[in-house]
Amino acid sequence: MSDPESVTPDQAAAWDQGSTEAESNPEPELFFVSHESDQGEQASSERSVSIAKGSRIASAVPIQKAPGSDRYPVVIQRYEGAPMIRLQADDPLQRQGQVACSTCHSVRKPNLKNTVAQLDQFHQGFSFAHGQLTCYACHKAQQPDALRLADGQPVAYREVMSMCSQCHSQQAIAYQHGAHGGMNGFWDLSRGPQFKNNCVDCHDPHVPKYPSMKVQFKPHDRFLQTNDQSSDH
Amino acid sequence: MANSNSAQNTPASPELPVVNPTRRKAVKAGFATLGLAAFAAAISPLRSAAKQTSAQAFFQNHYRELSAEDKRKVIARLEAETKEKYGAEVHIADDRPIPGTKFVYAINLSVCNGNGNCVKACHEENNHDRATHQSYIRVLEMDKGSMELGNGDSEYQGVVPKDGKFYLPVQCQQCDEPPCVDVCPVKATWKEEDGIVVIDYNWCIGCRYCEAACPYHARRFNWKQPEIPAEEVNPDQSYLSNRIRPAGVVEKCTYCLHRTRRGKLPACLEACPTGARVFGNILDPESNIRWILENKRVYVLKEELGTKPAFFYYFD
Amino acid sequence: MSAAPLSDSDKHSTALLSYPGFVKRSLVVMTEGSYAFLTWMTVLTAIALVGLNAWANQVATGMAVTGMSDQVSWGLYIANFTFCVGLAAGGVMMVIPAYLYKDKEMHQVVIIGETVAIAAIVMCLMFVMADLGRPDRFWHLMPGLGKFNWPISMLTWDVLVLNGYLLLNLHVVGYLLYTRYLGKTPNPLWYIPFVFISIFWAISIHTVTAFLYCGLGGRPFWNTALLAPRFLASAFVSGPAFIIIVMRVLRLIYHYDAPAGPARTLIQIMRVAMVANLVMSVSELFTVFYTGGTHGATGQYMYFGLHGHDGLVIWTWSSLLLNLTGTVLLFLPAALQRGTVRIVACLLCIAGIWIEKGMGLIIPGFIPSTLHQLVEYSPSTTEWKISLGVLAFGLMVLTLLLKVIAKVFLGKMTVADQS
Repeated sequence: MSDPESVTPDQAAAWDQGSTEAESNPEPELFFVSHESDQGEQASSERSVSIAKGSRIASAVPIQKAPGSDRYPVVIQRYEGAPMIRLQADDPLQRQGQVACSTCHSVRKPNLKNTVAQLDQFHQGFSFAHGQLTCYACHKAQQPDALRLADGQPVAYREVMSMCSQCHSQQAIAYQHGAHGGMNGFWDLSRGPQFKNNCVDCHDPHVPKYPSMKVQFKPHDRFLQTNDQSSDH
Repeated sequence: MANSNSAQNTPASPELPVVNPTRRKAVKAGFATLGLAAFAAAISPLRSAAKQTSAQAFFQNHYRELSAEDKRKVIARLEAETKEKYGAEVHIADDRPIPGTKFVYAINLSVCNGNGNCVKACHEENNHDRATHQSYIRVLEMDKGSMELGNGDSEYQGVVPKDGKFYLPVQCQQCDEPPCVDVCPVKATWKEEDGIVVIDYNWCIGCRYCEAACPYHARRFNWKQPEIPAEEVNPDQSYLSNRIRPAGVVEKCTYCLHRTRRGKLPACLEACPTGARVFGNILDPESNIRWILENKRVYVLKEELGTKPAFFYYFD
Repeated sequence: MSAAPLSDSDKHSTALLSYPGFVKRSLVVMTEGSYAFLTWMTVLTAIALVGLNAWANQVATGMAVTGMSDQVSWGLYIANFTFCVGLAAGGVMMVIPAYLYKDKEMHQVVIIGETVAIAAIVMCLMFVMADLGRPDRFWHLMPGLGKFNWPISMLTWDVLVLNGYLLLNLHVVGYLLYTRYLGKTPNPLWYIPFVFISIFWAISIHTVTAFLYCGLGGRPFWNTALLAPRFLASAFVSGPAFIIIVMRVLRLIYHYDAPAGPARTLIQIMRVAMVANLVMSVSELFTVFYTGGTHGATGQYMYFGLHGHDGLVIWTWSSLLLNLTGTVLLFLPAALQRGTVRIVACLLCIAGIWIEKGMGLIIPGFIPSTLHQLVEYSPSTTEWKISLGVLAFGLMVLTLLLKVIAKVFLGKMTVADQS
């Protein structure tokens, strides 16, 4: 992000402070590869492959106005480090395993011709629905723990949004102006900071379509008949 | 009651059936007593209602006539009442408009998926009645290719978004020409400097003319006293906004002025998981909302009615 | 009635001194009478008390005891209110022939129309009170004491014109009654100007009441320029119809030789007004069904039901049937004569217009709602009780006033036989 009000990773790490109560978990957040799960049922769905995003680093430092500025920053959620692949089976000692991409890909030569359908050996059950992209359009073949910009330059996972923005410039512009991605905190930056989602908070990069959700709450108006027949779709 | 409350002794008129004057007097007095007793019994439910209203509450002046001292007393009384009736410790502030702000809302209908989290957030934030799941927001499931509200359905359920549908959240549009304000016979509702249409819940007489006048179904009436468990009461309240409303008055969305006048975003916006909602100060040229209005093809609901909403919709 | 004014200061003081006696004797007349009268009043009192109790419960527990909702936020109370405004305005159809066209016979009975107007306005005000969610805050509506949103809010106009009309009629009726009691000739200066004001005022009360609804752009069913003319036309049917029935009852009770002219004039007025009303209804229906669209949804719902909701269909067709039958009966030559046909015609018209004002106008204005939700409405028991209670109270007021008026105008109660 080239937004002058974007903040340093240190500040970004403090995103937990003053944000909503749901964001207080310092554990890496699981990001399931799925395009059909309902919001309410995501946690219980079983998947062959799960990818853990890099961790947020909690910080006790409250968010301050930038020196010389009368405004609080707009804090964008970021994740430190490369994502990890969670192993499907436990090891003989019943431990759950997580491995970095580089664990395999540093010793295995990239095959640029592979399609998703062919990734059956170590990416079982992996779903992919992101246009006509190939793996190495976004992943840096030579640096498995980095992403790849359109010009071939590597970019850290932490800066994933600058990679997304290369194709999705309209969304990136809208995001910069608060018209995409949602936010929390203050509209008035002279009174407090604003917190914004990362692209990958809402969109699974491999299946970026926003997931379906289930309506959880409905007002019960006096004498208004509810149509239950539409509950099954 | 006029037939039983007078018992004068007067010359008999010809058609009077009871001939003896003394007996007639006694019968009349009997009927009068009976009538008064029946009258007292009939209005007895009012006694319990009267206990709920203190003299200070009864004589409380209109919000805009209250001095700072008056307001302090009124708010202390309301906080005590909330403690007594709901068992909840609350803080009621008197949030006034921030100079130089006019609040405007926009919703991206391409993004909204009708999940209804905003409806729920409003319900909780604004201390709505738990039994009725009341909320200032209604979301209509609309047919793609149609702006006809008649094809909309507010009672949709299940998994969203559905094929061929788009979702239209409707709440108070904070109109610049609000018909609800015009029709109020007692000036219990008015538009403040930052554009928010508010109600003095202690002045409203509950005639519901504003409900009839609003083209957006933005107003709700408290058909009975709202029920909220003490632990669910949002204690962060404001006099004109989310304090628990009394029975018998109309209530409405205030763009969460108890938050927005303190610089925070409205609850429905924060709750939106799709990021469809945009809120801000239209007087600030750098604001998000200004960018939307300048760069998106926005429209307003029922523009033909001339209500001039401060609530915009767009697709991208 | 001749027009010789009384101007003596002597007579004037007599007039003032006799007033307490007049009030006292009126109260006696109101509390004494035949068994039939006492039974009638007892029944009305009982119904009124049941209504009062229902209202007290409604105030104590909240408006949740009604059948109204946020979608249909006005119901039976406002429907009855609207109908009663029509009744009150309808009385002017006696005043106009009596005073503008110098109809002598009408002049003799015009006070009945004015009395009906008083009772009807009392009912109007009570229906408004019944509809308030916070009747304890009624004082907020008083000019001077509260905050009166005049001239912007049509409801404040309605408060003014209704109370004004009540005062005008109380004055005219009270003045005529009292001068008659004194055995004197009324001074035209003291009432004729008020009578003429009341003619325009009568038109205004129903026009303003129509403006309450037709000024709301968000309610396409009400938002029609035809609403006020329709209100007036239907009022000029229901008002005279009710007055004809009252006159019939009075004639039967007091066995006096009433002139036949006034009722005949009223029937002729009703013929014209009813036809005008029907013509306007038809043109509304044409617009609704030929144009279709949003405006048509309500019409569809009223006449045929919409998306499986048909709560108003029975009411709508009943109203149509009652109005049409009533109109046919009105046009029969027999309607010009005393007899059953006339009374039945009047009853049918009253019933038809009562439905037309309520289930045919106030309720469908809310269905479908502004967000096109289909929420139906049917009055709750509480609403029926309160409405019947108000009606009973209105009839009590009417009965008692007419009883005194009959005594005085039939010469059975004068200042001469006071002592």
